[in-house]
Amino acid sequence: MTGGSWLCLLAPLGGTILITLCGTRIPRLAAAWIATTSVFVAFGGAVWTFVEMQSRQPRSRSEITTAWTWLQSGNFHAGLQLLVDPLSAVMMLIVSGVGGLIVLYSIGYMDGDDEERRYFAYIAFFVFSMLLLVEGGNLLLLLVGWGLVGLSSYLLIGFWHERPSAVQAAKKAFVMNAFGDATMALAFFILIAHTHSLDFGANFNVHLSSTAENLVALGLLGGAAAKSAQIPLQTWLPDAMEGPTPVSALIHAATMVTAGVYLIARTHPIFEQARTVELIAAGTGALTLLVAGLIALVQVDIKRVIAYSTMSQIGYMFLGAGVGAYANGMFHLLTHAFFKALLFMTAGLAIHALAGEQDIRNMRGLGRLMPFTKWCFLVGALALVGIPPFSGFFSKDSIVASAAALGTWYGWIFWVCGIAGAFLTGLYTFRLWFLVFPGEPSPFVREHYHDHHGREGAWTMLVPVGVLALLATVGGWLQWSPRWHPFTDWLAPAAQTLAVAAPTNTQEYYTSAATVIAGLAGIALAWAIYSEQTIAVPAAPFWRRTLEHKFWFDELYDAVFYKPAVALTNGLRREFEEPVVLQTGPDLGETTLATGSLVRRIQTGLLRTYVLFLAAGAAGVVLAFLIAK
Amino acid sequence: MNATSLTSILIWLPIAGAILIWVLPLSRYATGSLALLFSLAEVGFWIEQAARFDFSRSGLQMAERASWFGDLGVSYHVGVYGFSLWLVGLTVVAMAACTGYGFWVGRDRSRAYFGLMLLLTGATVGVFESQDLLVFYAFFEAMLIPLYVLIGVWGGARRMEATIKFVIYTMAGSLLMLAAIVVYGLQAGTFDLVDGPVSASRWLFLGFMVAFVIKAPLFPFHGWLPDAYREAPPEVSAVLSGVIAKAGLYGMLRIAIAKFPDPTSFYRTTVLALAAAALVYGSLLAFRATDFRGVVAYSSLAQSGLIALGLFAGTDLGFDGAVLQMVAHGLISTSLFLIAGAVERRTTTGEFRLLGGMARGRPALATLLMTVGIISLAVPGSASFAGEFLILAGVFQRAWWWSAIGAGAIVLAAMYMLRLISAVLHEARGSTVADEALDLRPGELALVVPLVAGLLFLSAWPAGISHHSFFGQSPAATVKGQFK
Amino acid sequence: MPGPDVAWYVAVAAVLFGIGALGVLIRRNTLVVLLSLELMLNAGNLALIALARHWHNGAGQIFALAVMAIAASEVCVGLGLVVALNRRRLSLDVDTLSELRG
Repeated sequence: MTGGSWLCLLAPLGGTILITLCGTRIPRLAAAWIATTSVFVAFGGAVWTFVEMQSRQPRSRSEITTAWTWLQSGNFHAGLQLLVDPLSAVMMLIVSGVGGLIVLYSIGYMDGDDEERRYFAYIAFFVFSMLLLVEGGNLLLLLVGWGLVGLSSYLLIGFWHERPSAVQAAKKAFVMNAFGDATMALAFFILIAHTHSLDFGANFNVHLSSTAENLVALGLLGGAAAKSAQIPLQTWLPDAMEGPTPVSALIHAATMVTAGVYLIARTHPIFEQARTVELIAAGTGALTLLVAGLIALVQVDIKRVIAYSTMSQIGYMFLGAGVGAYANGMFHLLTHAFFKALLFMTAGLAIHALAGEQDIRNMRGLGRLMPFTKWCFLVGALALVGIPPFSGFFSKDSIVASAAALGTWYGWIFWVCGIAGAFLTGLYTFRLWFLVFPGEPSPFVREHYHDHHGREGAWTMLVPVGVLALLATVGGWLQWSPRWHPFTDWLAPAAQTLAVAAPTNTQEYYTSAATVIAGLAGIALAWAIYSEQTIAVPAAPFWRRTLEHKFWFDELYDAVFYKPAVALTNGLRREFEEPVVLQTGPDLGETTLATGSLVRRIQTGLLRTYVLFLAAGAAGVVLAFLIAK
Repeated sequence: MNATSLTSILIWLPIAGAILIWVLPLSRYATGSLALLFSLAEVGFWIEQAARFDFSRSGLQMAERASWFGDLGVSYHVGVYGFSLWLVGLTVVAMAACTGYGFWVGRDRSRAYFGLMLLLTGATVGVFESQDLLVFYAFFEAMLIPLYVLIGVWGGARRMEATIKFVIYTMAGSLLMLAAIVVYGLQAGTFDLVDGPVSASRWLFLGFMVAFVIKAPLFPFHGWLPDAYREAPPEVSAVLSGVIAKAGLYGMLRIAIAKFPDPTSFYRTTVLALAAAALVYGSLLAFRATDFRGVVAYSSLAQSGLIALGLFAGTDLGFDGAVLQMVAHGLISTSLFLIAGAVERRTTTGEFRLLGGMARGRPALATLLMTVGIISLAVPGSASFAGEFLILAGVFQRAWWWSAIGAGAIVLAAMYMLRLISAVLHEARGSTVADEALDLRPGELALVVPLVAGLLFLSAWPAGISHHSFFGQSPAATVKGQFK
Repeated sequence: MPGPDVAWYVAVAAVLFGIGALGVLIRRNTLVVLLSLELMLNAGNLALIALARHWHNGAGQIFALAVMAIAASEVCVGLGLVVALNRRRLSLDVDTLSELRG
């Protein structure tokens, strides 16, 4: 079981190193296939782990292996150790499986880019980092994976480094994530101060004061929110769409941004001791899913619409994990990985076919030319909205039902948010659908469309899309909570759903009915507005501007953090560094010189003056002796 | 060869090499090769020393002692502890790379130049190995003389100004330290660091600390730093920030903290505040600096603050983290300055507004600068992350707000380092970046790649240093027990 | 053998010393300055010998001998300098020899 986990972790790293060392000595395509193979080998390792784990008793499915002691000081030590348990096995499968499909897709998508090798080295490194994050056997190693994931996302977002906007977006993503890393590190310092350890076991069974518990949980939540683009640390995600589309699919949909949910599930004993903070996480999710859904309504960039829908869906996952239904949150993570990767990759097909165009207002009627893309996108869209029998229906509804199961006032607020979110999802997803795919192709599409040897894309792009379309359809059948729930049972040893968040069958049924109706209502409204044009979009310029400015978060941060920091620094440099610190040395020198030129006047060079001083000095000494006597 | 003689060999071999180079009328090429040979031999001897060092034993190892002024209690006493071993290693490795860089760019007046570089090597190793205060002082001063000349003769346009500032600051600190040494030695009856008693005198503590705080430097004693780092030749800047600054921090650990436990606790908050100020102030100014070396210079100020934060936390994690971070940052800033030198050679400038777009077509430069830059901003998993994590976790046990400040500064570190990387490598091509400006040449790679490889090795196994610097389970107890 | 009181000797020595010192301060000719210097040295010698006799202590006389030896060598050096100055046709006026002016 541990052999599989090491294979899974190290194969992509080996791929990265191989590509880096070979450099330009190997053809581009070879680099691409090295990366793809290494990620599929990792998937093989994950499957191996999973199969072995399944043959064991549920109680003994967790195992830690240590390679060597990574960091040690005093009585604190943290090993380079991996933990395999049902939770990490699920994540390993998702990361390497969906990741492998996306790397395969990249072969076609990136074909012709003259820095393809660098891209594939980065993307294999990303998969390695993500696997380290989910397999890390203690909190420190989890943080290492966490940081490396941030690093590789920086590298990939800024891959086209000659575009200033891409470089800016990459830096923004990294700094936001570094902020999350910092709050997590602070949480860990509290734990070290109390337990001298960052092992999962030692810290999950310890009982700290409630202040300390709350602070630790808040620190972890800060990290989770930064990585998962939840309010208030969400502003980097839409900008991150500057990266190549497969990167958006891999990092900003399928794996990295969902790491926050994994973190909550992994450290749930800490969150459960700080239940208030856990509910704050749920509230953050509820708020984010609404805000992101609203912003998505006015976006015109195809990738940004999907990016906001990602934020919104992660909001659902936070909601689920936050109320204590970890398995439901994780299940939505799984299905979301399928359908969101599918949506991004079909969008990528469209962008690729239109020579890089991303504005949906120019894309009308594309479905006529790209039927395969159209139908696959429709599968993804229906799964996203949660229409049965597509996968989103099975996972999203039980999250909302868990909120109902709480039975408290905030539980009902979460429930209402979830339903409203479903309506928004239907509206913005099918706004995109109706604007892009149906109807007669627009002149722009006719002019710019170019196929790939008679197909809609290279086979390396079409095959993963097809596989994911299948998974987005059937992936959800794994579990329908009221009737069968193998996924929840599987995760139970690692992250047992809290009793308060386990909905009854009745709650499941009426929640499902409500979400599906809300989703259908959203679709119907989108149809009426964007297809039939029987309803006009209300003008409401203030709200429109607010949404287009993404609720002014960027402007707010700019005014509150960036500009004051710049002003402070400029002020410090102008008022303190240059006139005081840098001037002290020269001033000291000047003073010394001035004193010297004052004193040197005594040295007249005349013998008589010197003799006079000599005589006066001698007389002074004699006088002093006489007086002393 | 006797293991104990390795300690003295490491000090005197490069000094003998320096004298040899000054005496022999060799050509530029022969001089450079000879100097490089000596500095590589240093590395070899250090590896031998590290291999023979017994980490399972407490106290001073490979010590040599000979009476010098017997009636004053002064002796030539040298030896190594775990943490000094690492700093000696940092010195010989960084000095070898920098000597190699001087050879690569072909510094003029080569006999003077290489002799001074070797003298600097010997003196710096002497600082880290000497166990007698007067010997320590002698090496501490001997270290400065070559630096004055190296900056003043081979530096940039404003080199005299930079040299004068450097002289004024360091002399002021050294003189106070000399006074403190004399008073301490006469009071104690011995100048020996191993046998000498602890002292409760706050004045003496301050006398030592002034020298170390200027050398490290900490805020607001860094007036010499920006000019010296900008005007010195790049390899000398690399030595200054990578190695010489560590001598100040080493002095804090070996003398100020170990010999003055009571004054240390009395002034702890003050020093921690200075260190935190250096950290935040340095990070902020690095964020707005307009040139390559300016960013690295102010980030060195910030890093010195961070390390001092760890040392004066006085906790196990703080000490271990500080030693680890000294070595990691030494390697980082040496590499960064050498890369800065390589960039300046290709473009004649380090100004950001004139640079940019160097990544395209120069994979080796881009990869190395990215790797070092990313390690330097302490991305989790890197050696400097391990060091900073231990330091901040250590100082957290003193009071939480130091760690909060430190964590904030690390976010700033990400901002300034990414700004540096993209200003040099990314976006539109700068006006001074010619198409035909080459990628790093094999000679430059041979200098920088070993440093980066060392950093990557430390990233894979930071416990190699963090757990092998102080004997026993508790570094704080070891320091308190005078490293015995 | 009674003689004048020791105070007279000391007074004469003081007067001689004063004359010598004034000479050094006032005169500008190098030779005269050297001459005045000798006068001062011998004033010291006189005081030493007189007091040695007064206290019946031979050390003072030994000192006087040492001073004489030093005076002799000093005159050698001093005259040598004067000759050297003269040879290089430099002025013998001490006030013009102010190269060490700060």
